[in-house]
Amino acid sequence: MHTHTSPAAATAATPTGNMVELFGATRTYGTGAARIHALRDVAIGFPAGTWTAVMGPSGSGKSTLLHCAAGLDRVTSGQVILAGEDITRAPEVTLTRLRRGTVGFVFQNFNLVASLTAEQNVALPLKLARRRPSRKDVRAALAQVGLEDRLRHRPREMSGGQQQRVAIARAMAARPAVLFADEPTGALDSGSARTVLGLMRDMVESSGQCVVMVTHDPVVAAAADAVVFLRDGRIVDRLVRPSAPQVADRLARLEG
Amino acid sequence: MPGLSLSTLRDRWRLFTGAILTVALGVALVQSSLVVLMSTGEPEIPAGASGREAEHIREGYVGAATLLGMVVPLALFLAVFIVGSTFAFTVAQRRRELALLRMLGGSRPQLVGLLLAEAVLLGLVGSAFGAVLAAPATWAQSSLLVRLGFLPDGFTAVWSFAVLPWSFGFGVAVAVAGVLTAAWRAARTHPLDALRDAPSAARVMTVGRWLVGLSALACAAPLVAAGQSADLLGALLIAMAVSILGAVGLSRLSPLVVPLTGRLVGLVLRTSPLGELAQANLRDGVRRSASTAAPLIVLVALLVGLTGALGSLARATGEDLKRNTAADLVVESSGADAARIAALPGVAVASPQTPLEVSVTAQHREEGRSWRRTHHSGIVAVDPAAYGRTHRPKPRRGSLADLRGRTIAVGPGLAGEGLRVGSAVTARIGDRRVKLRIVALMRETLENNSETFLVPRDLIPPALTADTRTETLVQVAPGTDPRAVADRVRAAGIGEVRTLAAWARGRVDAQQRGNVGILAVLMGMSGLYAAVAVVNAIVIAGAERRAEFAVARVTGLTRSQVVRTALVESAAVAFIGLALGGLVAAAALAGFRDGPGGVRILAVPWGLIGWLVVSTFVITTVANLLTTLAATRPVPVSLVAARE
Repeated sequence: MHTHTSPAAATAATPTGNMVELFGATRTYGTGAARIHALRDVAIGFPAGTWTAVMGPSGSGKSTLLHCAAGLDRVTSGQVILAGEDITRAPEVTLTRLRRGTVGFVFQNFNLVASLTAEQNVALPLKLARRRPSRKDVRAALAQVGLEDRLRHRPREMSGGQQQRVAIARAMAARPAVLFADEPTGALDSGSARTVLGLMRDMVESSGQCVVMVTHDPVVAAAADAVVFLRDGRIVDRLVRPSAPQVADRLARLEG
Repeated sequence: MPGLSLSTLRDRWRLFTGAILTVALGVALVQSSLVVLMSTGEPEIPAGASGREAEHIREGYVGAATLLGMVVPLALFLAVFIVGSTFAFTVAQRRRELALLRMLGGSRPQLVGLLLAEAVLLGLVGSAFGAVLAAPATWAQSSLLVRLGFLPDGFTAVWSFAVLPWSFGFGVAVAVAGVLTAAWRAARTHPLDALRDAPSAARVMTVGRWLVGLSALACAAPLVAAGQSADLLGALLIAMAVSILGAVGLSRLSPLVVPLTGRLVGLVLRTSPLGELAQANLRDGVRRSASTAAPLIVLVALLVGLTGALGSLARATGEDLKRNTAADLVVESSGADAARIAALPGVAVASPQTPLEVSVTAQHREEGRSWRRTHHSGIVAVDPAAYGRTHRPKPRRGSLADLRGRTIAVGPGLAGEGLRVGSAVTARIGDRRVKLRIVALMRETLENNSETFLVPRDLIPPALTADTRTETLVQVAPGTDPRAVADRVRAAGIGEVRTLAAWARGRVDAQQRGNVGILAVLMGMSGLYAAVAVVNAIVIAGAERRAEFAVARVTGLTRSQVVRTALVESAAVAFIGLALGGLVAAAALAGFRDGPGGVRILAVPWGLIGWLVVSTFVITTVANLLTTLAATRPVPVSLVAARE
C-alpha cells in the first residue's frame, strides 16, 4: 500500500486547514448583453485529506469553479489560495511550478498522450518537472491501479477504464497535494467507475490528499466526503456524507 | 524531451511526411549544387585552347556558379516556407496534446524545446534522405549545365565527403528556422485547451501574419506605381521585387484574403445545395483553405511574374535591336564571301562584321578606380563607313570616321566600363602586338554580350578573317524588293540569308538561352515544392475532417455527395490560389505594359499559365479525392461520437 505522505499535503494547507480556498470568487465571460456570470461571489474551502464533490445543473458553473480553483482559469474578481499560495494573479511560471508538484488532474476524456505507452505517460509529469522518475516508482503506480501487465500498451490499445486508471496512476505518481477531477467516471462503465472511485478514496485516506471532483452522477458524488451544490454560479447547498438517493433528491429539487 | 519528440515523430509521421520530403529535396539540391560548385572551382582550360575559348570556358563556369548561387537561396526560402507552414499546421492540429503537456506541468520553454527537438530530428531524417537523393541530383544538374552550355562536355562532378556536414547542417537549420514561429505559437497554448472541443480558440490571423503581410504589400504598392514610369531594367527589377513581396504578402494574409475571395466564388457555388455546403466549409475552414492556397499564390506569382518579366525584357531587346539596325537582310557567310555581297545588284550598303581571334588589353578608369583587363570575345572587324550607315545610334563620343589605321572603337558591350576616347589599348593580332588609339565610344544597348570592340578591317590581314563566320547587314537599294536581293545572295552561293526580324529574334534567343535554362531549373524546383506543400495541406486537413464528413453523412449525404462537396471546395481553393497569384503577377508585370516608343513588349507566358492551371487542378483534385475517400471509408456512426 502507498503510505508515503506528500510533504506538500502536510505543510501547505492554510491555517484553516484548507488546501484550496476561494474568497468572493466571481468569473464573468463576455461583455455587454452577452455577459455571462459563471461564478458569483463564491466562498469555499477544500480541507486537506477530504474529498469534495461539486454538483449542479448544466451551466451552473461547476467546471468553472474547478478551473479557477486549479489555476487553469482566472477569476474576474475575488481571491484564490492554492496550497498556501495566492494564485489569483500568479504568473505562468508559478502556475507551472504548482502543476508540477502540487496539483494533479483527472478528466473525463482521460487526456493521455497518444504516442506514449502507459509507463511513459505516468512518468511524463515527473520528467517535465525534471525529477528523474525511477522505473520502480512508475511501475508501482501502475500496479496500484491494477495495470502492471499493460506497461507497454499505448492508449489506443486499452479500454476506457484502463486509460482512466493510467491517468489516475499518472496523477498519483507525482503525489500532488490536490487532485482535481472533472467527471472522472463520465466515460466509464459501472465496474470501471467503481474501481476508479476506490482508487481516489485510497489517495484521500492513505496520503491525506485533497480531492475536488465535479460530477453530475449522484452515485459518484456519494463516494465523496461532502457534496456542494451550485446553481447560477452560486453555492446553494451542502451535504456531508450523503447517500446517493439524498444527492439525487437534492439535485432534482435544484433543477426543478 | 527528445524521447517525447521521437515518439511523436514516430507516431504521427504522416503529419511530417511533407516537411521531411521538403527538407530532403532542399538538402539534395544544396548538396548537388555544392558538389558541382566544388568541382567547378578551378576551370580546367585544355592545353592549346585559344584566348577566346579560355575566356568562354571561364565565363561558362562563372555562369554555372551564378545559376547555382540563385538556386540555393531559392531552395532555402521555399524549404523554410514549407517546413514552417507544415509545423504551423501540426501545432494547430496537436493543440490538445500541447495543452495537455502544459496541464501536466510543462513550461513554455519546454514546449518550445519539444518542437525544436522535433525539428532537429526531422532535419536529420530529411537530410539523410536528401544526401542519398543528391547523387542522382548531382548527375542531373551537371548534365543540365553541360547541355545549357555552361560547362564543357565531359564535365564530371567529383564527390567529396566534405559536403556531408554542410548538407546535414543545412537540413537541420532549415527545419529549425521553419519551426520557430510555430514553437512560439505552441508556447502560448493554454492548458485549458486540452479540455475544449472546438478548435475555435486558436486565432488564425496572428500579429506576425498581419505585420509581415501588410508590410510586404505596403512595400509592393509604391513599387507597382513606380514601375509605370521606370525604364526597362527598372521595370525588370521592380517586377522581381513585386512578385516576391506580393507573394509573401498575400500568402501571409491568405486566411483573410482567401475567404473574402471565397465569397465571390460562392456566388456561383450557391446555386446547388452541395455547392452551398462547399462554400460554407470554405469560409469555415479558414486555416485549411489558406494552407492550400498559400503555396499556389507563391508559385504562380513567382513563376508567372519572373517568366513574364524576362520574356518582356527579351522582346524589348529584340525591338531595340530592330530599331537600332538599319538593314533589311542579314547574311551569314565566310569572311571571304562576305566581301562579294556589296557588289551584288540591288545592294545599297553591306556592313560585314567578323568576330576576331584577337585580344585587347585596356586600362579602365571609373570614379577613381582603375583596373587593367584583357578582353577576348566580342571583338569584331568592321567597315567603319558601312557600320555607321547600318547602325542608327551615333557614337556617344568621338566619330566612326576616325576609325582608320591604328585605331579602335569601344562597342556597345563595353560602353559603360570606364574607357575613354583618346586613351590607348594594346591589341594582340596574330603574333603582333600593336598599340591602338580609342577614337569612338558607342552607346549602350539593351543587349547583353553585344560587341566589345570595333576594329577597322584594314588593320587586319585578310587571311586572318577569310574563313571566319561573318555576319553582313545588308541595306537594299530604294525600290528593290529585299526578297529579290536575298535570292541573288543565295544564287551566288554566298551564305545563309535572314530577314532583320528573324535575325534579331535568333540573336535574342541565343542570349536568352541561359536565362531560360535558369528559369526552367527554378520553375521545376518551385513547382515541386509547391506540389509537396499543397498535397501536404490537403492530406493533413483531410485526416482531420473524418468526424466532420461523418456528421455530413449522418445528416443524409451519401458518400459520393460528401466526396463531391470536398472536390468542389478544393477546386474553389485552387482557383482562388491561382487567381490571387495571377493578381500579384499582373501587378508585377504592369510596368511592361507600354514599352519605349509605344511598342507592345509585354510577354504574357500563356503556355506556362496553362500548365500551372491544369497541373494545379489535377494535383489538388487527385489528392483531395484520395484523402476524402480514405476519410469516409469507416462507418460514419463510429466517428460521430469519437474524439481525436
